[in-house]
Amino acid sequence: MTVVTWLLRRLVASVAIIIAVVTFVFILIHVAPGRPCAGQNEIIDPAICERVSHELGLDRPVVEQYWRYLGALAHGNLGYSFSLRRPVRDAIAETIPFTLQLAGVALVLDFVLGLTLGIYQARRANRLPDVILGNITLFVYSLPTFWLALLLLLMFGEKLAWFPVGGPNNPVLCPLVDSAYCFGDRLWHLVLPAMTLGLVGAAGTARFQRAAMLAVASQDYIRTARAKGVSERRVVLRHQLRNALLSFITRFGLALPFLLTGAVLIETIFAWPGMGRLAFEAILTRDYPLVTASALIASAIVVAGNLVADLLLGVADPRLRVRAARDLDIVTA
Amino acid sequence: MLSAMPRRACLPPFVVIAVTILAGCERRGGCTGANCGTLVNAAVAEPATLLPPSSEDIVANDIDEQLFLKLADVGMSVNTLGDDDFQPLLAQKWEWDGPLTLVFHLDPRARWHDGQPVTAADVEFTFNAYTDSAVASPFRPKLARITSVTQRDSLTAVFRFHERYPEMFYDAVYHMRILPAHLLRPVPRDQWKNAPFGRQPVGDGPYRFARWQPAQAIELVADSTFFLGRPGIRRLIWRFTPNLQVAVQQVIADQADIREQLVTPDNVERARAAKQLSVYSYRGNVYTFMSFNQRSPDDSTKPHPLFNDRELRRALSMAVDRASLLKSALGDLGKVPPGPMSELLWIWDTDIRQLPYDTAQAARRLNALGWRDHDGDGVRDKDGQPLSFHMLVPTSSGLRRQYARLLQEQFHAVGVRVEIDELEPSVVNQRVLTGKFDTALLSRSNDPSPSSGIAQTWTRAGFGGSNFGRYYSPDFERIVDRAVTATNRDQARPLWRSAIETLNADAPAVFLYALDNVAAVHKRVENVQFRPDSWAAVLRTWRIPPDRLIDRDRVER
Repeated sequence: MTVVTWLLRRLVASVAIIIAVVTFVFILIHVAPGRPCAGQNEIIDPAICERVSHELGLDRPVVEQYWRYLGALAHGNLGYSFSLRRPVRDAIAETIPFTLQLAGVALVLDFVLGLTLGIYQARRANRLPDVILGNITLFVYSLPTFWLALLLLLMFGEKLAWFPVGGPNNPVLCPLVDSAYCFGDRLWHLVLPAMTLGLVGAAGTARFQRAAMLAVASQDYIRTARAKGVSERRVVLRHQLRNALLSFITRFGLALPFLLTGAVLIETIFAWPGMGRLAFEAILTRDYPLVTASALIASAIVVAGNLVADLLLGVADPRLRVRAARDLDIVTA
Repeated sequence: MLSAMPRRACLPPFVVIAVTILAGCERRGGCTGANCGTLVNAAVAEPATLLPPSSEDIVANDIDEQLFLKLADVGMSVNTLGDDDFQPLLAQKWEWDGPLTLVFHLDPRARWHDGQPVTAADVEFTFNAYTDSAVASPFRPKLARITSVTQRDSLTAVFRFHERYPEMFYDAVYHMRILPAHLLRPVPRDQWKNAPFGRQPVGDGPYRFARWQPAQAIELVADSTFFLGRPGIRRLIWRFTPNLQVAVQQVIADQADIREQLVTPDNVERARAAKQLSVYSYRGNVYTFMSFNQRSPDDSTKPHPLFNDRELRRALSMAVDRASLLKSALGDLGKVPPGPMSELLWIWDTDIRQLPYDTAQAARRLNALGWRDHDGDGVRDKDGQPLSFHMLVPTSSGLRRQYARLLQEQFHAVGVRVEIDELEPSVVNQRVLTGKFDTALLSRSNDPSPSSGIAQTWTRAGFGGSNFGRYYSPDFERIVDRAVTATNRDQARPLWRSAIETLNADAPAVFLYALDNVAAVHKRVENVQFRPDSWAAVLRTWRIPPDRLIDRDRVER
């Protein structure tokens, strides 16, 4: 019962956070200089611009526009995109799957590679492999993602031609053949963008995981396990790793914002038709409804990710469940 | 099917195995004839709509060239005077019925892609739509001198004009693509910008619309029954890549067949080095200039404190070495324009008189105007005010940002301080439109006629529009009026020359560069021709010979 209450409280807080984000983004994009009817590269006739602004209600006070927006949002209406000339809902519905595919594959790469490296380094702490890997992960972690993206494109796309240069599919075949080929083709197109996002994330995860493993390694129960003659493999996987998972789960919650913000750059560079690219182009064209809706969806995903991470933390660590219940009792008393 | 992406032999084995297994169910292509072929264009922008009166961007125009026909179109000479150099399209023939009446006879073979015949009612409907303020077409002002379009019978359309002038035919045919009245009549005009038709158009051109995958690609397929002859290439795909460098990489990596503008010398070099590509140069239609705002940025009713002074503008213009700027930034990929024009315009003439590059004379003139370095800080001043101004540059243009820095250096050499404001394009546009700038690096594209572009941008007709610097010269406008009404090029050329020389002497802007267009096209494509005003205008005549087909050409639907 207390978990359900806790969950309800978190959900209410999540909605409040999302509304706050939407409000902040709405105000920010409206007070930012630039007009939505001015093209990215071409200067549009001012008379047409005025007419478009009037039609879209952009000549009304910002507060009025905000209330209208919230009213529409309450009815599930995300608005109409000026730049795409179509409902925002449709545009976002088309792009979300691409972003989730990219973020999903990058997340898997991030955690599988990061976890493996972190465990390996912790087991060989302060020895040569750990030092080498530590420097490599630090180097990769400090790379700007856009630079890594361009480097990978140049090397593996243009020079070696191992992987496609941008896009989600082979544009010649995949509209025509709806088959396993296109699934493989999608994975093939995902390699470079997911690698760019995933590698940088994995470098960070590895460093976090190494530190967490080493912190746990000095605990009494690890020493006790070793003293009891438990095999080293079992000590690492069963005792050390399991207890170090808390930082891993926390990092999962933090990884989502990283992946979503990274996706803005990566999707633009790799011509990946996801939400990040949509939001980036919407900002350039001052497409207010699209920018606000993108922020809404992104914040919802991040909040949901953190909620899942908190739930997982509770599952992984009974102490946190007890603490949460106690806090709740105090609050509701 | 792996070979659909050439050079895939280099793939790492694990990818080859995985993709080969997954490709097991894929349909294998088998087109082998003369009209096979797939052309993938690496485009950098995605259009918002393909409905011609509402399409403002270049990519939409390129695609609409394939979908919707005009009555006739300019030839490769891009001569807009009279009708001698125009090619029939929807109109089989035309004749003049008096000085102000032009009669078009439509080709009875022309059909919409849904099978309906193209009629004079469509032509009348199209003119009414383009000139309807509810549609807000950017082409509307260009049709202002046409009084009406009516149908005489189902295949005869009659254009009536307000006045007689040399580009009557050009105005009648160039700006309008004929639209299907039976499909668009039910759509309220004020909703055309967002009409579903714009995302699933039905045209009458050599290609039919096939599909639009948002943010990915638009695909057209050849209409094998097209009345002017079957197009040479079977499928056209515009693949959208928001980054120019990545678009160029796609062509170099053989994942696209054409990039019609390479833009930078580095891209041209890389394309030349790619074995499968041919590189083509053709005249550009864009020129870039530094505009002096002659009205105050704070109050547009007042003159600009610096640039309302003609002599100051002239002195600053003389301080700019445009040839060396061009060499530094573009190498051989552009030219210094002799005035406000791209090389597309037939009035381009390097003998047109321009202000010379002469820093000594510039310095003398600045001294004479009282702008001297009184306090020895390296910046000229007068009455305690330094000779300093801001330069507005969009962050989206690497070339213009580079030019801004080079200009800053050159002005610094004559004691003028320039502060560069690099801003987002939408902010630059807003500030330019509202006159809130000192100087701005701007680009304009020309259509083939000097009459429309030059008049719109450099006369009072462009106030509140594209005459952003608010330049006004009664002399210039008088000569332009005469040039516009000259009946042939021989008469018009000296008038245009005189007009441009008048404008150059007033120095409303420094005309920096006119970019040459350089395209990269896959070598297997034959009969590649670029019409300078619209590279895709004659795309239907391109072909890929059967012996040069590659796998992506043979894919069957």
